[in-house]
Amino acid sequence: MDLVDFARGPALKVAFVIFFIGVVWRLVNVLLLHHRRNLSEPRRGVAESVFGGLKAMGSRSWPHPEFIKRTITGEALGYSYHIGLFIVILLFAPHIIFFGSFIGVRWPALPNGVVTIFAVITVTLFVAVLFRRLAHPVLRRLSNFDDFFSWFVVALLLVTGLMATAHVGAPYPTILGLHILSFDLLLIWYPFGKLMHAFYIFPTRAVDGYLLTRKGAPS
Amino acid sequence: MARLELEPTIGELLDRQGVSRRSFFKYCTAMASLLALPPLAARAMAEQLLAARRPSVIYLSFQECTGCLESLTRSFAPTIENLIFNVVSLDYDDTLMAAAGAQAEQAREQAMRANYGKYLLVVDGAVPTGDGGVYHCAAGRTGLDILATCAKGAAAIVCVGTCASFGGLPSADPNPTDARAISTLVPGKPVVNVSGCPPIPEVIAGTLLQYVTSGRVPDLDEHLRPTVFFGNSIHDRCYRRPFYDQGKFAKTFDDAGARNGWCLYELGCKGPTTYNACATVKWNNAVSFPIQSGHPCLGCAEPDFWDHGSFYSPIPSPRWGKAGEVSPAQAGAIAAGAAVAGAAIGVGSVLLGRRRIARRQQEPKSQSDKGNEE
Amino acid sequence: MSTLAQIPVCVEPVTVSHGEATVGGGIGAILTEIAERLERLARTGEPGAIDLRSLPISPADRAQLLQALGTGEVDARVQANGESRIRETAVHGVWWTQHRDLDGALLASLIEIARIPDILIVGADDLLRGASRLRASLSFPSAAQGESPHGTT
Repeated sequence: MDLVDFARGPALKVAFVIFFIGVVWRLVNVLLLHHRRNLSEPRRGVAESVFGGLKAMGSRSWPHPEFIKRTITGEALGYSYHIGLFIVILLFAPHIIFFGSFIGVRWPALPNGVVTIFAVITVTLFVAVLFRRLAHPVLRRLSNFDDFFSWFVVALLLVTGLMATAHVGAPYPTILGLHILSFDLLLIWYPFGKLMHAFYIFPTRAVDGYLLTRKGAPS
Repeated sequence: MARLELEPTIGELLDRQGVSRRSFFKYCTAMASLLALPPLAARAMAEQLLAARRPSVIYLSFQECTGCLESLTRSFAPTIENLIFNVVSLDYDDTLMAAAGAQAEQAREQAMRANYGKYLLVVDGAVPTGDGGVYHCAAGRTGLDILATCAKGAAAIVCVGTCASFGGLPSADPNPTDARAISTLVPGKPVVNVSGCPPIPEVIAGTLLQYVTSGRVPDLDEHLRPTVFFGNSIHDRCYRRPFYDQGKFAKTFDDAGARNGWCLYELGCKGPTTYNACATVKWNNAVSFPIQSGHPCLGCAEPDFWDHGSFYSPIPSPRWGKAGEVSPAQAGAIAAGAAVAGAAIGVGSVLLGRRRIARRQQEPKSQSDKGNEE
Repeated sequence: MSTLAQIPVCVEPVTVSHGEATVGGGIGAILTEIAERLERLARTGEPGAIDLRSLPISPADRAQLLQALGTGEVDARVQANGESRIRETAVHGVWWTQHRDLDGALLASLIEIARIPDILIVGADDLLRGASRLRASLSFPSAAQGESPHGTT
């Protein structure tokens, strides 16, 4: 069994299982947190509060006008590389085949050249993000192993993917094997690190918005 | 050795056969063109070959189908066959030689003795090593034994075909005869792998020619294949590559994409992971190659190509178990199973946590005095 | 199931492989390379050659390239296990060489940049061999094969 077959075979299977166990485990943990009963008098109705929660999912996704000057760099960087990641992950032909074989559907791809350009931009932004994290006095103090490792796992995936496209470093099958292996690593790390934010971010915003609206505060 | 000095040069031999230098030069130019070498290499090749002496070649066949030899001897371009038999002295090949039985073995022993340490050993087929090697016997000896004897005095070993190079079909799962690649059985000997099922005749000839002209083993890749021929993947040299880059794929063998000659990646083409010269040298006197006739590359020049799952399963498709590609139903079932397990662990850990909190609250002098839960 | 005839086909032009495609920008680059090689030949005496078969251009491009080079003064045919035709182009020192086998199939097609293409030149060995053959036939007709003193193998 060669590297590619190992990476897309047993390693992928194990990673896939760990991913689902981990994600559901953590979601269940959060859902079953020991909630205190909210004894305060609701200032708004349930419908309005739910709407407030939904609104928060959107409004929190945009920089607050008051802080825009301070946060715009981080927000712009974050948005840009997330968009880049989505394009590279979901619109590259081989990726579509890969994900498509799990769900049984394939969708149209972008031309490879376009995807490559986005990948290069995304890697550049990734480096910028890391520099910012290291250079920013507050961010640096806030960062722990989780931040750096999560960054590393995604960066590894991007870099090996680009290397495979550009045929550098080693023969294509070797790099492809490493690329898939780094995806396996990402799947395994996903539920246990900050990558899990993809599952948490919108529900937590919604809950926040709901509670704030209920208290009569603007969400 | 005194006898070797009397051996005529290839130039002298050709002259004796009435092959003019211009014809020979022309062959070399055609070879260089077929092999995509720079045209001026033809001149250097011709000059070196004319001055060289023919090396003795012993050709052994083990677990194989003779397809490799067929590829070489029945190649469309008669020039290649002529050329190769003019530049080497084929002293033993049990398929091609007129002699048989004891006489054939005698010819081999004589050639080996006369050229000890200098002859070229060409091998096609894998060698079975299970049960003492009894699955291949000729002239009362096992393949293992014959290989060991012949390899001892060889200057270098050229493995023709994927079976000799990597084990190929005989060593495919479950490999009942424990067939192995030649390179794993001849420690310390320089080995050149010319893989392919079969290899391109021009590539076999070119590799032998290269050895005769330079007297050295060529530059090899990590699978011991000459980089001149195996330096690029099929995909990188494929004329359908622009379609891959544009994202235009044939989805089935009879759709409009297939008829328009679009990329066969989604139909399982192994071009990206296969290193060979099919896309440049092509087959049947440079007429075509599999992708050009609408079929994906099988990856026959790569190790274990029989065991990479279906020929029609795309490279990025996950491969779980022997069945090959994972089906959405299977993936869903595994995901659901994992999710149930995750939920169980989650619920379990939450319950454990609650019990721990409850116990802590019951203890009179608990550290957590913010126990204002209801 | 649809039959073959029902499947729509619209042939996509590909510059690399199909003849009727557009004329690419490659011709200019090839002509520039030929010019550079001519200059090098004049300066250092080093000949050059371009394999027309391995060029990634369409047949239309190839025809246009040959048209751009024009037709010159020399048109030589060599009968050596099939015909080879060597034509000088209108650009002196640039030759279009085609080698064919006995069946007339094209073996190689080259643009050569040389004072005279290699295949037309007679090697020094061949000169001596020819001389000795002539002498042998003049004085010792019985030893006409005299250039090869070795036994057969």
